[in-house]
Amino acid sequence: MVAKDGQKVADVLSDGNVPGSLEVLRERVLNKRSGAASVQDWRAKLRQWWPYYAMMAPGLLFFFIWHYVPIWEAKMAFEQVRIIPPNIWVGLKNFQQLFASPIFYQVLANTLIISAMKIAFVFPVPIIVALLLNEIRNGKLRGTIQSAIYLPHFLSWVVIAGVFIAILSPTDGAVGQIQQAMGFGAPSNYLTNPASIRWVLVISEIWRSAGWDSLLYLAAIFAIDPQLYEAAEIDGANRWQKIWHVTIPGIVPTIATLFILNMGLFLSADLNQVINFQNDVNASTIDILDTYVYRLGLSTGEYALATAAGLFKAVIGMVLIVTSHLVSKRLTGKGVW
Amino acid sequence: MASQSRRTPLERIEYILIVSTLLLLVVFTLQPLLNLLALSFTEPSRVAGFSGLSIIPDGFSLEVWSLLLQHPNVQRGLFNSIWMTATSVTIGVLGTALMAWGLSRPGLPGRRLIFIAVLVTIVFEPGIIPDYFLMKRLGLLNTPWAVIMYKVISAWYLIILVRFFEEIPKELLEAAELDGANPFQTFFLVVLPLARSALATIALFYLVLHWNEFFRSMIYLNDQTKWPLQVVLRQFVIEGDRVAIVGAANASGNIGAAQINIRALKAGMIFITILPILAIYPLILKFFTKGTMSGALKG
Repeated sequence: MVAKDGQKVADVLSDGNVPGSLEVLRERVLNKRSGAASVQDWRAKLRQWWPYYAMMAPGLLFFFIWHYVPIWEAKMAFEQVRIIPPNIWVGLKNFQQLFASPIFYQVLANTLIISAMKIAFVFPVPIIVALLLNEIRNGKLRGTIQSAIYLPHFLSWVVIAGVFIAILSPTDGAVGQIQQAMGFGAPSNYLTNPASIRWVLVISEIWRSAGWDSLLYLAAIFAIDPQLYEAAEIDGANRWQKIWHVTIPGIVPTIATLFILNMGLFLSADLNQVINFQNDVNASTIDILDTYVYRLGLSTGEYALATAAGLFKAVIGMVLIVTSHLVSKRLTGKGVW
Repeated sequence: MASQSRRTPLERIEYILIVSTLLLLVVFTLQPLLNLLALSFTEPSRVAGFSGLSIIPDGFSLEVWSLLLQHPNVQRGLFNSIWMTATSVTIGVLGTALMAWGLSRPGLPGRRLIFIAVLVTIVFEPGIIPDYFLMKRLGLLNTPWAVIMYKVISAWYLIILVRFFEEIPKELLEAAELDGANPFQTFFLVVLPLARSALATIALFYLVLHWNEFFRSMIYLNDQTKWPLQVVLRQFVIEGDRVAIVGAANASGNIGAAQINIRALKAGMIFITILPILAIYPLILKFFTKGTMSGALKG
């Protein structure tokens, strides 16, 4: 969530300034009365609110079963899985085995490298796109460009990987043909080359999200007070001076928020993307934590070890997201939610 | 514009450079898709030499499309994708709206606790193995319901809808109550009609999410006849399993399949998968743009 929305949820959570706070206060006063009276209150409340709980029941049930029961299932990380139940509690043994395995560190390093590359090379692109789009005063032209560049965001990674396999085909792909026409020699297969596959991840991510993500920055740019531009014009500022002194300072909070949020997702590196670009040859360079968990658990059947690796990612991920939320809140007033 | 006349030649060059850069981005975005579209309509005998740079079919033939659309695997995948997505979206929109309505009522006892419980699910995801074992425990493995119910209510979209419901003017609700409407009637007869555009936005969010979902189908559904289109596409294009399309086509009497260049079949297959997204793309542009502008980051 961006901007004021984040604040609203926080307001609700902080229990002050809520429209219902008067009721809360009254309820607290009432609670100090005798036990019999509070049972009565409780009954009155139930009579008033049961329809709302009835309406929320399917949702609450869904969240409980689909999101909370798995947390309990994750205790498998501390067990030895046996074919005939019950499993045996083994404490941290699975984690010890995980942290002793060289593959785990390879996978962790891949995840961090891919995330770092994406932050360095993907993150700035939509900012530049938004700045350029903002310079186009012809609404029709801008609208047409926007409709075109938003499209890939709505395609699945299976489709996008399929498109990139076609583009990068050494025999008839567009990249190879351009390369040959410009005299850069015979095209190699970038999808099976461990040296280039991470760049394929970076570029396909740009293809997918550079357009759509620019919308967030464009929204921030449109919210800048037009008087600031008028004042700059009176001072004789040219296009680039206006961008540098008005537009960019105006979107710095949005940039900061999104940057910090991206840091919160550092251990993810996008399973849905990687799993469609992975093959036997490049696996060692783009095997990330999530694909490792998937292979270890669902292909090899090492359930306990895979759960431990997944839990490791979940816990560090949680720390990262909560920290980034708090930092973002502190610096820009906007949080993740 | 007044400033137009005051533009110096340098400023005009700058503008041309800016427009060209963006048009380059448009080409970078659309050319690969148009190339595949052209390839899928190209005369089968000329597919082999078809350039990756061209966006115009070389000759014209519907052979790839008619073969794919008649193919049992594709038909089944299309059918599975459509009914599973439709079911997910229906359950999701209804469940999200009902829960968001309760959560948006200021005096609801336990409101804060439920909010926190929902936020926790955004922050902490125990991973795919616990999810897998939950499906096993519920007896949903290898049934479409394991996939249909995945993210059927999204915490993000729930919060967006709560925000929207909070903005509904109190007077309207009080008027309904005065008319003797109970909370259910108020919700279905007053709130839902008011929230039409918000619900449409959420429905589109869910539609794109579920149509593009492949990973859960991949791990939960063993039985190929239950696969949605994305997984059929993945098997054929990503895993390069020619037999998936060509072999079966031969077996069913379509001798032509083996003669059509595999590239053209893959291109057609990709386009069949994104056709529904293209069909609703104008709606997506209208609602997603609005939804994102007003505060939804995820989507």
